[in-house]
Amino acid sequence: MSRSSLSKQPKKVTDISVPSEQLAHVDPQDMFPLPPPYDKVKEQPGFKALSAETRKTVAASLDDTVCVGLPQPKSKEEEERLITAFLSGLRKLFTRENNWTFLEPLVLSMEHCARCQTCVDDCPVYEASGKNEIYRPTYRSEILRRLYFKYIKPGNSLFNKFQNGDIELNWTLLSRLLELSYRCTLCRRCAQSCPIGVDNGLITREIRKLFSSEMGITEKNLHEKGTIQQLRVGSSTGMNSLAVKDNVEFIDEDMTERTGIPIESKWDVEGAEVLLLHNAGEFIAWPDNPGCFALLLDAAGITWTMSSEIAGYDGVNYGLFYDDVQLARIAAKHFEIAKKLKVKKIVMGECGHESKALGVISDRVFQGIPRETAMSLIADIVFSGKIKFDPSRNNFPVTLHDPCNLVRAMGVVEPQRRVLRYLAPKFREMHPHGVRNYCCGGGSGFAIMSQYNFMDWRLQISGRKKFKQILDAFADEDPSAETKKYVCAPCSNCKGQIRDLFDYYGAKQKSGLHYGGLVELVVNAMVDVKEGFLNFEEM
Amino acid sequence: MTVFHLLIYLSVLIFLTAVAARIVRIVRMPVHLRWELYPVPHEKSRSAYGGSILEEVNWWTKEREVDRIGEAKAMVSEIFFLKGIWEHNRGLWFGSWSLHFGLYLLIGELGLLALSGFLGAVGMQPEILALVTPIVTILAWIGCALGLIGSLIMYLKRLTDPKLKPFNNASHYFNLLLLGAINVTGLIWVAADPEYAGKLVDFFAGLFSLNALPVLTTIGYTHVGIVLFFFIYFPFTHMTHAFVKYFTYHDIRWNDSPNVQGGKMGIEIDKLEHQPVTWAAPHVRADGKKTWVDIVGDTGEEKKS
Ligand code: SF4
Ligand code: SF4
Repeated sequence: MSRSSLSKQPKKVTDISVPSEQLAHVDPQDMFPLPPPYDKVKEQPGFKALSAETRKTVAASLDDTVCVGLPQPKSKEEEERLITAFLSGLRKLFTRENNWTFLEPLVLSMEHCARCQTCVDDCPVYEASGKNEIYRPTYRSEILRRLYFKYIKPGNSLFNKFQNGDIELNWTLLSRLLELSYRCTLCRRCAQSCPIGVDNGLITREIRKLFSSEMGITEKNLHEKGTIQQLRVGSSTGMNSLAVKDNVEFIDEDMTERTGIPIESKWDVEGAEVLLLHNAGEFIAWPDNPGCFALLLDAAGITWTMSSEIAGYDGVNYGLFYDDVQLARIAAKHFEIAKKLKVKKIVMGECGHESKALGVISDRVFQGIPRETAMSLIADIVFSGKIKFDPSRNNFPVTLHDPCNLVRAMGVVEPQRRVLRYLAPKFREMHPHGVRNYCCGGGSGFAIMSQYNFMDWRLQISGRKKFKQILDAFADEDPSAETKKYVCAPCSNCKGQIRDLFDYYGAKQKSGLHYGGLVELVVNAMVDVKEGFLNFEEM
Repeated sequence: MTVFHLLIYLSVLIFLTAVAARIVRIVRMPVHLRWELYPVPHEKSRSAYGGSILEEVNWWTKEREVDRIGEAKAMVSEIFFLKGIWEHNRGLWFGSWSLHFGLYLLIGELGLLALSGFLGAVGMQPEILALVTPIVTILAWIGCALGLIGSLIMYLKRLTDPKLKPFNNASHYFNLLLLGAINVTGLIWVAADPEYAGKLVDFFAGLFSLNALPVLTTIGYTHVGIVLFFFIYFPFTHMTHAFVKYFTYHDIRWNDSPNVQGGKMGIEIDKLEHQPVTWAAPHVRADGKKTWVDIVGDTGEEKKS
C-alpha cells in the first residue's frame, strides 16, 4: 500500500466544517522512518484507539487523538451558545482593550500571509506526520484568518471572500479548531522561515487564548492543575511550601553524601545576590538538578536564596502557552517575591519557558528586578577560574538539545555550548542546532499532557524529529546500550518529553541513551566532588 | 486638464491614502509584549549564530550594541534576493524572485519618470530630460520581461503545485493575471513604440504641469489603464506585505527593546494596563470595569477555590 493511501486528510481548508467521524488519520507508515533499531513499522506503537465512550462524550473528530476533550454539547442550544461565545471571543481577540499584548503581531499575521507555504516544510509536526494537511503550520492559521475576514475585518464581504476565501463557522469547526490548537508546540520554527514575518506559532497561541479567556475552555494540565493550582497551592506540581522544603532537605542530604561537599539550600534570605527560581518539577523528577545548582553557587561564593512563598519556588508559567491573564498573574508573583526579598537578580533555572516568560515576555510589563538565565550564570562560574574541573570525568558522548524558548525566542545559544566544549570532551552537535533547532515535541505544555492517548501522538509525531536527531547525533558511536550516551537538555519541560521518548521507544535499553541537565555535567567534572557523581545506572 | 488627468490623480490619491491609512493603523497599534525571534541581525557579533545580549551574565550592566549595518544587510538580502524563499522554498524562488525583481525595476522606472516629469514641468531642458530615456527603456524591457516570466511561473505553480493549491483563493490567480497583464502590455508597448520612453517623459511632465498629455498607442492606454487599476486595488490586498514587512520585521521579529524605566514605552504600557478587560471566562473575573492591573492583582479567588 502506498503511504498516501494510508493517511486520511482534508482536501480543502473548508473541510474543517464538514462533519465526519474523523477528519484526519496518520498511519505509522505515513511517518518518516526512524534509524535502526527503531525502523520497523510493525513495531511502531501506533495510536491506541479512542474508546467508543470517549468518542461519544468529547469532541474527537479531528484526528487519532484527543488533547482537550471538550464535552459534546447536549443540545442544539448549547451548540449555539458555544458558537456565540466563540464569536464574542473572536471579536475581543482583535480589540486593544483585551488583547493589546499581542494585537499587532496577530493582525499583521492575519492580513499579510501570501499563502506561499514557504513555512510548511520547516514544521517538525507536519513532517513527522507524513505531511498530513491538518498539521501544516498554515492550516489552522488559514481557518482563523478566514473567520477574521468574515466576522471581524470591516469591508465588503464579497471582496473579503474573493481575497481570502470563505468558511462556515459551526460546531464541527469550533471543536476541531480547539483540538487543532493543541497539535502545535508553539516552537516558532515556521515563523523563522516566513519571508513576510507571519507567525503561525503565535496564531496557534491566540486561538488557545480565545478559548481560554473568553469561553473558559482550557487544557486541564495547563489550567486547573497548572496555573490555578500554582496560584493556590504554590506550584503546578501540587507541592506546598512545606513539601518542597522537605524535598529539598532530602536533596541536600543526598547530594552531601554523594559529592562529599556539605550542602544546605537557602530559603527566603533577604538581600541575597540571586533568587534562584527552578521549575518545581525538578524537585520531584530530577532532584540532582537543584542539588547541583546549590553546590555550584556555593562553590562560586554567590549568595543565593530560594523563596518558599506561593509560586516563589516554582518558575513554571504555563500562562505563556494559553492565557495572558494567567501569564501575567504568575509573572507578577515572581517579581513581587523578588522585590520583597530585595535580591539583586532572579536567575531562572534550567527551564526554557520559564526563562522566556520571565526574561522576555514580562519584560515590558514588570520592572525593577533584572533576570538572567542559568546558562549565562553557569558559563560565568565555569570560566571564572574559581572552581577546578577535570573534563575527563565527562568522557562519554554528549549532545545538546536546544530548548526553543531559550534559543529561538531569547538568543541564548552560546553559553551552554562553551561549557560543553570545555567540560565534555565527546560533545557533538545535533543537526540542525542553535536557533534552527527542532523542538523536543513537548513544547507548549505537551510534555505534561498524557490524557486519553495524547502521549502516543506527542511521542510519535511531535517528538519524532527530535528522537531521530538524537539518534543521528550518536550515529558514529557504538549503537549498543554498552556505550552510555548523554543528551544534555537544559530545560525541565524538554527533559520530561525526552524522558518519555526514551521510555516509549526503550532507548535506554536499546541504545544506552540517557539525559539530564547542564549543571549536572558541570558538577560531575568538579575536582572537589567525589568521582562518579553521575551514575548512568541510576539515571 | 482632462478627465484622463483626473482619473490618474484620483487613482494615485486612492493609492497614497489607502497605503498611508494602513501604515497609520499599524503605527497606532498598541505596543505589544516582546516576541522577538532570533537571529536578530542587529545583535552585533552575535547575529551570525543567532545570539543575543541575554547571553551575558548581568547583561543589563553591559552596553547594548546595535548593529544597523547588519540589519541593513539582512534587509537587502531579503528584499532584493528573497533570502527566506531561497533557503526554505527553493522550488518557488526563481518565479517569485523574477516577479518581485521585475516589479522593483518597474517601480524604479516609475520613480525616474516621475522625477523627470516633475523637472520637465518646472522647466528643465528637454535635451537634458532626454538623457533618461534609454534608462527608462532598459528598465521597462527588463522589468516587464522578468515580471512576465515571474507571473507566468507563479501562476503555473499556483495551478499545479499540490503544496500551494489547497490554500489558493480566487485573488491569488487574479493578482498574478493582473501583474502578468501589466507586464505583457508594458512589454508590447516598449517593443512596438520606438517613442515609448520619450512619450512617457512627456506624459509625466503633462501630469505635473496639468498640460495636455501626449497621445499614446492603444496598447499604451491599455497598459496605463491596468496600472491605474492596480494602484487602486493593491492597498486592499495582502500584497501590501511589500511594505508591511518592514513592521513585521522591525516591530516584532527584531524588536528586542526593553521597557526602560521612565521611557515612552512605559507610559504607553501604563495606559494600556489601565484599560478595562471584558474577557468573559470565569477565571479572568472581569466585570467590564476592572482593568488589567486589577485583574492581574486579583489571584484571591484561587486561594478560596
Ligand atoms: S505564513 Fe509566511 S511562509 Fe507561510 S504561507 Fe504565509 S506568507 Fe508564506
Ligand atoms: S510553531 Fe512549530 S509546531 Fe507549530 S506549526 Fe510552527 S513549526 Fe509547527
